[in-house]
Amino acid sequence: MVDFSNQPTMKGFFAPTRFEADVYDCEVIGKVPTELNGAFVRLGGDWLYPPKFEDDSPFSMDGYINMFRFKNGIVDYKGRWVKTPRYKADRAAHKQLFGKYRNPFTDDPSVKGLDRSVQNTTPLAFAGKLFTLKEDSLPYEIDCNTLETVGPYNFHGKYKSLTFTAHPKIDPVTGEMICYGYEAEGLETNDVFLYTINKKGEVTRELRFKVPYVSMVHDISITKNYVIIPIFGFVSSMERLKEGKVHWGWDDTKPAMVAIVPRDGEAKDIRWFKGPSRATVHTLNAREEGNKVIFEAPIYDSNPFPFFPPIDGSKWDPTKAKAYIRRQTFNMNSKDDGFTEEKLFEMNVSDLGRVDDRYLTMPYRYAFTAYGDKQRPFDEWKAGNLGGRVNNCYGRFDLATGKMNSFFAGDTHSLQEVCFVPRKNGAEGEGYVMGMASNYAEMRSELIIADAQRLEEGHVARVILPFRATAQVHGRWFDESELPFA
Amino acid sequence: MSERASPEAAQVLTRRAFARMVAAAGAAIAFAPHEILLSETMPSHNEAIVSFHMDRPYLDRSGTAIPYYPPAGARSAQFAAQLSEEEFRRSYVYA
Repeated sequence: MVDFSNQPTMKGFFAPTRFEADVYDCEVIGKVPTELNGAFVRLGGDWLYPPKFEDDSPFSMDGYINMFRFKNGIVDYKGRWVKTPRYKADRAAHKQLFGKYRNPFTDDPSVKGLDRSVQNTTPLAFAGKLFTLKEDSLPYEIDCNTLETVGPYNFHGKYKSLTFTAHPKIDPVTGEMICYGYEAEGLETNDVFLYTINKKGEVTRELRFKVPYVSMVHDISITKNYVIIPIFGFVSSMERLKEGKVHWGWDDTKPAMVAIVPRDGEAKDIRWFKGPSRATVHTLNAREEGNKVIFEAPIYDSNPFPFFPPIDGSKWDPTKAKAYIRRQTFNMNSKDDGFTEEKLFEMNVSDLGRVDDRYLTMPYRYAFTAYGDKQRPFDEWKAGNLGGRVNNCYGRFDLATGKMNSFFAGDTHSLQEVCFVPRKNGAEGEGYVMGMASNYAEMRSELIIADAQRLEEGHVARVILPFRATAQVHGRWFDESELPFA
Repeated sequence: MSERASPEAAQVLTRRAFARMVAAAGAAIAFAPHEILLSETMPSHNEAIVSFHMDRPYLDRSGTAIPYYPPAGARSAQFAAQLSEEEFRRSYVYA
């Protein structure tokens, strides 16, 4: 029996959906630009069965991939579970067999040794294949036309880490993918394996090194010559797991540490810099200026995730769970391990920011991310009272001038991660912003498409789903040239 | 089964108007003869529940003590109003 009635937060718009779907020729408000040919692919999670533990992380939700396929102004939708061994075991047992986030000690004994990944974080198109990514396991290959799960992928046996990041970076100049796995040799190991994979999907370089302490290494940035790897206060240990806790706890005494790794260097060439306690979960971009490495990201003041609680027993502090677009500058000629930090915008924003990916590693001007504007109206009569917890705008942040342009989604909507879709052969920032909106009045999801240079003018088109889409972590646009679409 | 107020009544009854009616009704009940309150027209396990949707009251006289929940498709974020920031973000960090 599946019973979600005692899950206090899985109600209303946020109740599990649990179905797979195809919608052909989706309803559209406005006009879908015919120059958009490819797919917007979303990856996130939904609970197939209720979690075993009330204090588990939402990052344990079963992976669900869904795709808006754009072709000549027509959009089709498809949604499928990522059918991992975990999904199949739960289906066979008709219940949740797996315990807390990245803690196999809390699992049902019947699934000991089984791949417990849920593949719910980021979609990736690389070397002509579509993948789902989850940082605790290998990528899973997905059929880009049916969205059926093919299985785990290790790049012809040459990728040796047991884990693969949810945020590889593709160098727009060389076409290479810089990727890595942490806890690379197994649970609680302090190994990081860093890889370069060429555009054919062949591993061309592996660098193995150790981090100062086992911590979340969720995202990186790259420059022409360096890889920037932030780690911060999330800590873990085998003792912690044996005590039945979720993988991560927050240690406020840990400094934010940033490794600057030469892309062609050895482990001995890595420089570790230290700064005040921060949480750099996601990044924007990085570049080099002379002997300096400039890194920008929406960085939290402290722990953003209450489900990874402070290890000292103190309460999670929501006032510190705010992200601001910051710049950190690392002087590669310096003799000490300090770095400088600036807050580029005073407003707090979603940490799921994006840039024009054609400008990764290079000087760039625009960053895009969602934010909540409390000056905008929110119709509680129609949508319900969400307590102000809405991201109702997408912003284009001009890093050169400090100005911001804004798209407002509507007074019953909240926006998920923004995606920037460049116009072919267009200048930086020329193209569309795209992202999913939750419409709390109509109980449905809408894919927003807006002109990135005219955000104030509102949407160009909204693709309407006649139901709620599953929760998203990350969404990516893949041009039709990137994958073998039918 | 819940019993809704008639559509006609719902069109004229607002939450505020209903609150005034309840106050008046409460006074009437306080002075009513005991046998009227135990009328056979009411369920034997009488726990009437008043709930609201779109600012309209619904009176459940079934005795099951189950409040009326609004249908899917409207005010679908309302349940989150009672959640603290921590409770909300425990489940929906990227909502």
